[in-house]
Amino acid sequence: MEQFISSLVQLFEFTHLLYLFGGTLLGLTVGILPGLGGTSGLALVLPFVFNLQPSYALAMMIGILAPTTTSDTFPAVLMGIPGTAGSQATVMDGFPLSKAGEAARALSAAFFSSLLGGIFGAFILSISIYYAIPIIMAFGFGEQFLLIILALLMVGALTGDNFIKGITACFLGLIIGSIGTAPITGDPRFTFNTLYLIEGVPLVVVGMGLFAIPEIVGLLDSKGAIAKSLNIEKGWFQGIKDVLNNWFIVIRCSTIGCIVGALPGLGGTVVDWIAYSHLRQTTNDTSMFGKGDIRGVIAPESANNAKEGGALIPTLLFGIPGSGNKVLLLGGFVLIGIEPGLDMVTTNLDLTYLMIWSLAIANILGAGICILFANHISKLTLVRYYILAPVMIVLIFFATFNYNRDWIDFIGLLTFGMIGITFKAYGWSRPALLIGFFLSTKVELLSYQTYAVYGLTFIHRPVSIILIILCLSTILLLLRQKFGESKNSNSIKNKNHQIYFIFLLLVLPIMMSVVIYDLDYRANIYPITLCFVTIILLSIIFLLKYFESNNSLFMKNILLRYIGLNIFEESSGYNNQFVYFSGLIIYLFMNYIFGFPIASVMFINIFIVMHNKKDFKLSIMISIILLSILWLLSSLLTLQFPNGLIGEIIDMPWWLGGELN
Amino acid sequence: MYKLTIMFFSFILFSVFSSLNAGVNFTGKTVTIVVPFKEGGGTSRFTRFMQPFLTKYVPGKPVIKIMHIPGGGAIKGSNYFQKNQKPDGTYLFGCSTSVIVNVAVGNPLVEYNLSSYKPVILLPQNTHWFTRSDLADQPHDISKLQQMKLVLYALKTPASADLFHIWIFDKLGIKGAKPIPGLSSSGGYQAFLRGEIHISSHGAANYIKRVKPEIEKGKVVDLMTLGIVGSDGSVTRNPLAPNAPTFPEMYQKVNNKKLSGEDLESFYSIAAAWSQASKSLLLPEGTPDEIVNVWRNAATKMVNDPDFKSKAKKALGPFPLIIGEEAGPIIKKASVFSQNTKKQLNTVLKKHKFTFRLQ
Repeated sequence: MEQFISSLVQLFEFTHLLYLFGGTLLGLTVGILPGLGGTSGLALVLPFVFNLQPSYALAMMIGILAPTTTSDTFPAVLMGIPGTAGSQATVMDGFPLSKAGEAARALSAAFFSSLLGGIFGAFILSISIYYAIPIIMAFGFGEQFLLIILALLMVGALTGDNFIKGITACFLGLIIGSIGTAPITGDPRFTFNTLYLIEGVPLVVVGMGLFAIPEIVGLLDSKGAIAKSLNIEKGWFQGIKDVLNNWFIVIRCSTIGCIVGALPGLGGTVVDWIAYSHLRQTTNDTSMFGKGDIRGVIAPESANNAKEGGALIPTLLFGIPGSGNKVLLLGGFVLIGIEPGLDMVTTNLDLTYLMIWSLAIANILGAGICILFANHISKLTLVRYYILAPVMIVLIFFATFNYNRDWIDFIGLLTFGMIGITFKAYGWSRPALLIGFFLSTKVELLSYQTYAVYGLTFIHRPVSIILIILCLSTILLLLRQKFGESKNSNSIKNKNHQIYFIFLLLVLPIMMSVVIYDLDYRANIYPITLCFVTIILLSIIFLLKYFESNNSLFMKNILLRYIGLNIFEESSGYNNQFVYFSGLIIYLFMNYIFGFPIASVMFINIFIVMHNKKDFKLSIMISIILLSILWLLSSLLTLQFPNGLIGEIIDMPWWLGGELN
Repeated sequence: MYKLTIMFFSFILFSVFSSLNAGVNFTGKTVTIVVPFKEGGGTSRFTRFMQPFLTKYVPGKPVIKIMHIPGGGAIKGSNYFQKNQKPDGTYLFGCSTSVIVNVAVGNPLVEYNLSSYKPVILLPQNTHWFTRSDLADQPHDISKLQQMKLVLYALKTPASADLFHIWIFDKLGIKGAKPIPGLSSSGGYQAFLRGEIHISSHGAANYIKRVKPEIEKGKVVDLMTLGIVGSDGSVTRNPLAPNAPTFPEMYQKVNNKKLSGEDLESFYSIAAAWSQASKSLLLPEGTPDEIVNVWRNAATKMVNDPDFKSKAKKALGPFPLIIGEEAGPIIKKASVFSQNTKKQLNTVLKKHKFTFRLQ
């Protein structure tokens, strides 16, 4: 209790507040920009956190995560586009309200319920921390192993429309995560004798590639929907009153948000829909839903902020991320030397409380800023896409480079960007791939450790039995559950492309099995098992697609019909996105020739001027700002930028990529 | 070849110039310390802690920059240092046990010539082993552990310094000792508290923070420490756990003979890599003695700085830093294992069915 208060005092120290505030602002920004969310926001700051004291870094990272689901309401209400996946349900009633001229009421109701939900989540988290020690002590190697299996099952099954594809994405992630030095024997595995892969593929490269790049390319493709007029003058108090009148909905939906958030995998993407449908089921008069019922805004918004508190429970106690952004949060923990688990509730309890307080205060700050500066912030939705996109691309390249200081990371980034775009277009789960990737080493180690300590007897332990039952019932439920609406596969074009993509995916497990076949059995049994299962799963998907596209009779079988549901995805604009993606490849080549700083300036200028010649003043201004930031960072971090071919010929200053001294 | 010639001549010129100038001065120069790890790691903290003090005491007060090149199991940054080194005192290397072990085990990717680097300062560390109080009545008694069929302990990977654990337990006749792979010392400690493994180990900082409270509660007892090796080869007890015997003491008790011969030789190599040169600051090979001495003098002045003294205990641990001549042989001993030592380590690796071998 004493620590509970002292960490609050610590947080109110000026520097802490500064970092928290900075994080909150960044979180608000990435929440508003359509497509970006907490995952991209964290990926951007991750390279900088290791220069910070742990408590500052935590305040900042939590500051980023907490308000993204608050500010994402702006585009949801004003433009009818969810700012992050967590505000999809808000659009249902928020946008009609806005069209009816009640945008301010919808926004203030959303912000206020976000605030309450966020604080509720922090409250539940602090209670669960209090009871955590016996739970952690009861989770030995075997229980942790089963818990991860359960998490992977749920993530794989729930984050996409088709659960076989989701599980396959998990397995692909596990395979990619097993690249690098084999943890048991120390043999290099699938590294092709290069140094680059010896520690595996870097987390930031995978996270940025899978999440940030597809969203930016998607933004370019959609040409950035722009809100025409912003009328959010009146009705602010009405919204707050609405929330107070519906306080019971707030409590119920916050509880749902917490529980769903704590279950790995459900996390960000569906919690708003669950809260929304709960509201519909428990309300007598449903006539106004979808047409502008304020309750339809309050329910999802309180739930999606409460989920952050819930999602931190498995993250802090077991190191199991519930959603994509928690993977990066855990990556940040590693950088600042914090290990999730027992330490979080014993020696590092002060840091845990600091995070809880940060969560609560960031929610208040976020909602407060949104309400007070709504008119200014909503203008962010007006920024033109062709100015935003190149700057974000440069930012992503910089953050990636700074994480590992390796030129090759750019190639990795684009490779995973490619995978991300295709996954997004063809309905493969990106969170499943990322979480599988992150947990891979843990799965491998825990399976060895469990076997070494217990043999097979670990399944007799009581907690294990509960977890096994949970796993089995998850699978059963998923086989029966029809999630979302079935897509009419006759209307879906480019089915053949989707089938080709499966063949492409098959290359990875097959190649991996061949390359590592000769290693010691303790080094290759895990990846080869993964490859084997993945090949089977991919074959099943292939058969389903093949038969479905041939209109076979097999669809009469109920089980097959369930698992074949939504096996194809609409993928409009996939080809367009490829065109934009090729712009990134050109940028990469420019890096190779001119070095990072010069290439970035050229890229931004060319991009902006190509879209609108009149903006050249703006692009020059952005270039100047960019160069001075790069100059400052290179001397602060002793950072040598990739210098490119030109640097080999001409002697460049240090901060443009030249030699030191 | 062209580069080499230039380097050679500039080297000659530089040494002539500096001898004429009587005394080395770094006024207006930038010194780069290459650290082959991420920011935030132990080596990064070690160098960043010394950075302001070194600026203060190196003549001419140069700007000292720390350049982090992580990745490749520390090999990437170390190879980078080797390729880009300048023997003029403006280029230093932040080294740690894992950099040394990469050389000692003969990793084929290593391109850096560590044994000829010139050490400025070494920061020793020491390993503590401990066990549950029901498995050993007092620190000196490991008879219960020797009789147990299965004694589990954490081992990160056999390609790291953790490989020394296998050798240590083998020499103490704990036949049931079995490493649990892939467990870091902190992960291993959590498993130890859950009762899943039997022996656990920690460095000084974590020992004080995490283990001491459990010892005071009576749940955990000290088993032994590696011991602090002096410049004359003597081994003394760790001041943090004065009741715990050192490894040589324990060896003598178990085997009824003094640690000597090949075993002693292996112990010295292991202790050098694992304990004495835990973290270090090195100058590249071929750095003139004059420049090396300037840096060593600065280090000596730094260690005697009252401000440094008051902060160092918390930031760096309780063990005295090693400066100057005696540091040279330690780095050599740590990075070049004798054939006997390699053979001994390979034997225990084989015994535990690891495929990894020292080359």
